[in-house]
Amino acid sequence: MKQKAYFTVEDLVVDYGGVRAIDGIRLALDKGEIRGLIGPNGAGKSTFIDAVTGRRLPTAGRVTLGGEDITRLSIIARRDRGLSRSFQRTSIFADMPVLEQVFLASHQARAEHPEEDALAILKELDLEAYADWRAGDLGYGQQRRLDLALALVGSPSVLLLDEPMAGLTVTESRDLAEHLKRLARERRVTVLLVEHDMEIVFGISDRVTVIELGKPLAEGTPDEVRANPKVREAYLGSAA
Amino acid sequence: MLHFKYLLWLLAGILLPQIVGSATLMSLLTQAVIYALFALGVGILLRQCGLVSFGHAAFFGSAGYIVALLMRDLEFGAGTAILLTLFALAVVAFLLGLVVSRIPGIAFGMLTLAIGQTVYLSTLQSRELLGGADGLNIAWPGSIFGLDVRLFYDPAGMFVISWVVTLAVIYLLDRLFRTRFGSITSAIRDNEERARFIGLNITLPKALVYSLSAVVSGLAGILSAIYTGFISPETLHWSVSGMALIMTIVGGVRHLWGPVLGAILFFFVKEYVGELTDYWMAMLGAVVILIVVFAPNGVSGLIAPLLERKKRVTKTVVGKQVEAGS
Repeated sequence: MKQKAYFTVEDLVVDYGGVRAIDGIRLALDKGEIRGLIGPNGAGKSTFIDAVTGRRLPTAGRVTLGGEDITRLSIIARRDRGLSRSFQRTSIFADMPVLEQVFLASHQARAEHPEEDALAILKELDLEAYADWRAGDLGYGQQRRLDLALALVGSPSVLLLDEPMAGLTVTESRDLAEHLKRLARERRVTVLLVEHDMEIVFGISDRVTVIELGKPLAEGTPDEVRANPKVREAYLGSAA
Repeated sequence: MLHFKYLLWLLAGILLPQIVGSATLMSLLTQAVIYALFALGVGILLRQCGLVSFGHAAFFGSAGYIVALLMRDLEFGAGTAILLTLFALAVVAFLLGLVVSRIPGIAFGMLTLAIGQTVYLSTLQSRELLGGADGLNIAWPGSIFGLDVRLFYDPAGMFVISWVVTLAVIYLLDRLFRTRFGSITSAIRDNEERARFIGLNITLPKALVYSLSAVVSGLAGILSAIYTGFISPETLHWSVSGMALIMTIVGGVRHLWGPVLGAILFFFVKEYVGELTDYWMAMLGAVVILIVVFAPNGVSGLIAPLLERKKRVTKTVVGKQVEAGS
């Protein structure tokens, strides 16, 4: 008998007034799994992440983490249970030194040694040299990495990443992809990756879910999704 | 080093009345320092939470009224009445802050304006208890906190007292904002959403800063009430809040001494430009526009880089700075 998935989203519905932005999306992710979530612009990917992380309350549906229903929990309570996210637009504390903000996040996550923890994360993301920099003075790629550092603080068990490669160079994107793979394999972090760079999504995801206009379109291994005629027609095009 | 800097400013304030010969100038400086403390109260809310209050005159003015009532009707001593007033302001502002600080941007400003004007109009209507438009004369006892009350009425004496109080408040706030609490409020001001997603409670720190800013404003209001021996509804009017806000914007909030500088500049412009033209307010308005556009960190933001020696900071963590090669 298959073990119940670690992180599940069941029949999620999100309405914006009269518009149904998310209509019955289901996901079940195992521990340490990397799941790609793709879809054309306006498919509802960011809305989905917002609803799962508590930024927006869903109209209907259920989200569970480690068997616990977290659908109605506050953002802070979800964070305490190990659910973390990055944002489509870089979301950092621009006026604060890099180390200070990662330290603050680490302390908030009740790390035993917050300063060491913060320094380790900065080292992991090649930001150590910028520890004393005002975050707003960093380059865009560095700010994206800092955004990810803030999401990684406190060793989250589920990481939802909203276009983390946006604005990064090819090398930076590949480095980040490698880093995500290590997180999943070595630390058993479950990653939901929303990303437009198909090469990376199909390269590192265990499974890929495709949504269109807020509805599920397809799901499977990267090869299965690539071969799916509906996906080819709706999203990937003949180049896929 | 930090303590030495404060000691120098303290000595400068104590010596200033010996240098200033003119009683008019001394009185102007005394008023400026009292309002500097008020502007500091408004400024910390802007600095730590990014919130613009149009209603802090409610705390500035009501502090004098509460002290007066505690002494007149409940026969408290001056010292006890002052401490109780500050405590009451802290509690009321904290509870109010739990509600109003959840409201973002301009809506927060409008709400504080409404609260401030409600306090002003209620005071104006209360003839029997608060003296209505005539206000209240405050019968201060012979000494306050062991100091002869005549020292408080004398411009030079009051200048030194207000200067010491203002410096002490700046010192304490500076220490406080270097702790994790300061980092938390700065983080919330910078990016409330991200702050929430790293697990920070947003409302409580904002309410605490609101309460703190109310206490500082109230302290200024008490000094003003002691100095004049009188309290009237005018001190509660929104224009008094606006004046403190102008001082804060002119001085800038990046540095705690910014609002203090803004208040001193404001009083000098009011006094000396006001003698030259009746349109000094219009000129001040133009100065505020220029500062907002060209120097968003205020005059202190222009001066600070010239004053500060470049320091190579080798390591910075919350509440701890290790400096090298200063």
